[in-house]
Amino acid sequence: MKKRTLQRGLSTFWWVTIVFLYLPLLVVMLFSFNASNSAANFTGFSLRWYERLLGNEQIISAFWNSLVLAIVSSVMALVIGCLIGYGMYRHRHRKLGWLIVLIYLPIVLPDIVFGISEMAFFVSIHRHTGLLQPGLGTMIIAHVTFQIPFVALIVYSRLVGLDATLFEAAKDLYATPFKRAVHFLMPTLKPALISAFFLSFTLSIDDFVISFFTAGPESATLPIYIWGAIKKGVSPEINAIATLMIGAVAIAAVLSLMFNRKGRY
Amino acid sequence: MTTITTRIVAALGGLVLAGGAYAEEGKLYLFNWTEYMDPEIIEAFEEKYDVEVVQNYFNSLPEMLAKLNAGGMSQYDIIVPSNYYVPRLIETGLVQPLDHDKLTNLDNLKDRFRDPSFDPGNKYSAAYQWGTTGIIYNSDTFPDGPKSWSLMFDPEVNPSYPFALMGDGQVSTGAACAYLGHGYDCTGVDAWKESAKLLIDTKNRGNFSGFVDGTPSLQQLARGVTHVALSYNGDYMNFKNEDPESFGNIEFMIPNEGTEMWVDSMMIPAEAPNPDLAHKFIDFILDAKVGAQLSNYNYYSSPNAAAEPYLDEVLTKPPVQPTEEDMARLKFTPSLKGQELQTFNQLWNEVQAR
Amino acid sequence: MADMSLVVRGRAVVSETRHLLFSVMPGAVWIIVFLVLPSVYLMAVAFMTNGPYGQPQMPLSLESFRQLAGFGFLGWSPGNLYTLLRSLWQTLLSTVLVVIVAYPIAYYITTCREKWRPIMLLVVVVPSWTNQVIRTFGWMNLLAPGTPLSDAAQALGLIAPNMGLYPSNFAVTLGLVYNFLPFMVLPLYAAFEKLDTAQVQAAQDLYASPVRAFWHAVFPQTLPGLLAGTVLVAIPAFGMYVIPELLGGGKGMMLGNLVANQFAGSANWPLGAAGAILMLIATFAGLFAMRRIGKRLGGGEEVVI
Repeated sequence: MKKRTLQRGLSTFWWVTIVFLYLPLLVVMLFSFNASNSAANFTGFSLRWYERLLGNEQIISAFWNSLVLAIVSSVMALVIGCLIGYGMYRHRHRKLGWLIVLIYLPIVLPDIVFGISEMAFFVSIHRHTGLLQPGLGTMIIAHVTFQIPFVALIVYSRLVGLDATLFEAAKDLYATPFKRAVHFLMPTLKPALISAFFLSFTLSIDDFVISFFTAGPESATLPIYIWGAIKKGVSPEINAIATLMIGAVAIAAVLSLMFNRKGRY
Repeated sequence: MTTITTRIVAALGGLVLAGGAYAEEGKLYLFNWTEYMDPEIIEAFEEKYDVEVVQNYFNSLPEMLAKLNAGGMSQYDIIVPSNYYVPRLIETGLVQPLDHDKLTNLDNLKDRFRDPSFDPGNKYSAAYQWGTTGIIYNSDTFPDGPKSWSLMFDPEVNPSYPFALMGDGQVSTGAACAYLGHGYDCTGVDAWKESAKLLIDTKNRGNFSGFVDGTPSLQQLARGVTHVALSYNGDYMNFKNEDPESFGNIEFMIPNEGTEMWVDSMMIPAEAPNPDLAHKFIDFILDAKVGAQLSNYNYYSSPNAAAEPYLDEVLTKPPVQPTEEDMARLKFTPSLKGQELQTFNQLWNEVQAR
Repeated sequence: MADMSLVVRGRAVVSETRHLLFSVMPGAVWIIVFLVLPSVYLMAVAFMTNGPYGQPQMPLSLESFRQLAGFGFLGWSPGNLYTLLRSLWQTLLSTVLVVIVAYPIAYYITTCREKWRPIMLLVVVVPSWTNQVIRTFGWMNLLAPGTPLSDAAQALGLIAPNMGLYPSNFAVTLGLVYNFLPFMVLPLYAAFEKLDTAQVQAAQDLYASPVRAFWHAVFPQTLPGLLAGTVLVAIPAFGMYVIPELLGGGKGMMLGNLVANQFAGSANWPLGAAGAILMLIATFAGLFAMRRIGKRLGGGEEVVI
């Protein structure tokens, strides 16, 4: 009897929390279809804000910047992070404390300290050498830096989870380390790599603070554009872009769930 | 698909070169205030010189300076700062001198813009537009609001309606100084300290809603987020004209205690990718007809004497052209440097933190 | 012969070392060049003098730390102290609130059928995948003056008439709780899933009241998850920039904003860098404390992150 009341209370609490979690996103989505400019009253359905998006060159270029930044940085982080993950596994019996510290550093550093250190560093280097001009290039560097640890840790934990005898078998089967990598390591790591890529991609798209501080004047991403638009005075166009981004995240969520079920890495 | 490939290749190229100067020929990068440029002028310029103009926008001068310091100095061709930032930009070497031989239209400027106090001899800058910063308020809320800063600073005049101050600390401090009777263009520790105290008390009142830049504050007012704020006369006219319904009950006024008059000037960053084209652009804007077209579009006063015959009538009346009486109340925001600037920054930091 | 084997072993060690270098070095060098060096540079900036227009200059000095402590040209003022206390208070408050919400949620998920659990976790986590700026913007829409929530708060007399729930310090707290809730639910869920039910049963027999049973049998077992969640919530909350900037309306400034401001308009790089150092010290102190407590509680290294 008591247990049932508790369970019912918890279930109610669960639904209230879900409403709390989704209400802000739903409001953004709802008002993206608002016919009027008002943020308080919904006056009718319209797609006019979406039409405006398509005509806005800044938004389109911000979209491309976001996409290119996410893809390029994720691929680079995948390569570098995968190597570290493998190195950590192969040499896990050595004392690699310094490496662990190094890898956790990008994760524990507060975003704002991360972003500002890099900004100050890039700006100073640029002033003295002309290199590292703030722009998409510096943003890619910053994003790769915070993606590497996640890739490395995913790859490492996948390798640790494997049966050690598999490696011995692979050693007998394939003569060269290269062949071993192509025929054994890559296929085994595939689910981990896919998941690491998606995680890096999501981290990149989701980041605002670090991008904001390392960006150049020409390399605004969608979140940076939205930030500027909010600062400039709230416009319903923001609702429309935000809705598209929320939609993309929802799709990613479904995909990740499907992968998780199948792959079970 | 090809677009994304080329873009990725370009990004990687940029990475390898670590983003050296990869500005393209035939592009002009314009860094301007929001809602400040007629798209048709841009089109005409693009057509005349067969180039492309890339526009970027800022909402406040601190924001502009920060972007300029973070690489913008070598990525923009034209910037449009206000008078009190001009000396700062010159002294830090962020801008380059203008080549007067390339500016045949410079003499079109009215006399008082030909040799401004903030840039003697127009060595570095050419005026773009001028205007005023005043109080915008909801006339339904304040049907007979006093022509005074007390709408913000006096809790008895405005006990409960939300209001915003200006994001740029120098303007907000000037407003507080004016209300306290030190004049908008006050300087000196004592006046500043007193106004910082007033600002701290004011921002801790229940109906203070934030430090907002001039153009967004108009949007907020129209949406009912605030009922009193600071904005610029031209933006006010522009918004009201575009959306008479939402802005119908919003008024602009110059308080009796005095407020800001500003001049925005075109300047060329020190390492602009295309200074030649930048000079052409400045000369283009200084043209009599283009200058008039610009003012007719954005409702700001033109510094251009030759443009006068082409100006719309609305530009000769308040609020675009203030009355003689109001004119006498307008002051430049002081240009700060050295120890003075640092002291001011500390006080403003304190206002924001408390 | 013995010499031979030694040589071979030596060679193997060399090749192993080379392997280690090749696999680990690119990433290690990357992080050192693009994160450790910049951080060290930033720390150096904190010990430089502020130039006339906010750029760091020689000579070295401790001026920026003095300024951070509130000693300016005009004597001592409490602004920065307020900012620091506000940051600490907001962090504490939002972490406690997050725990209060996350604890029952995590428990509830473990009581549901196994096939639903991953989906329920996903449902909790998905909002945090959208961009922070967008989420905060959603709250700006919800809490602005004239919205139903603000009207309700006015009717209840919680806020002044004509005002909205945003901008305010309350909005900042709400934004923080919203932002970090999933970070607490996940580790707590992991702790609940590992819960030793036999112990709980025994406790139920042993203690009469369910509250005491919970306190003695359930709570200690969830402590590692609670600690991990606290680290994941409190550290980023302390350095938060976006939420106070958008929802605070000039009243809710936190340490992150103080630091960021020094690199923007009212530039003072050394002061900003000094603020960043303070934030780093707080971060590492927090991590260290959690680790110590975690160890004392018998949890392993994995308690931290």
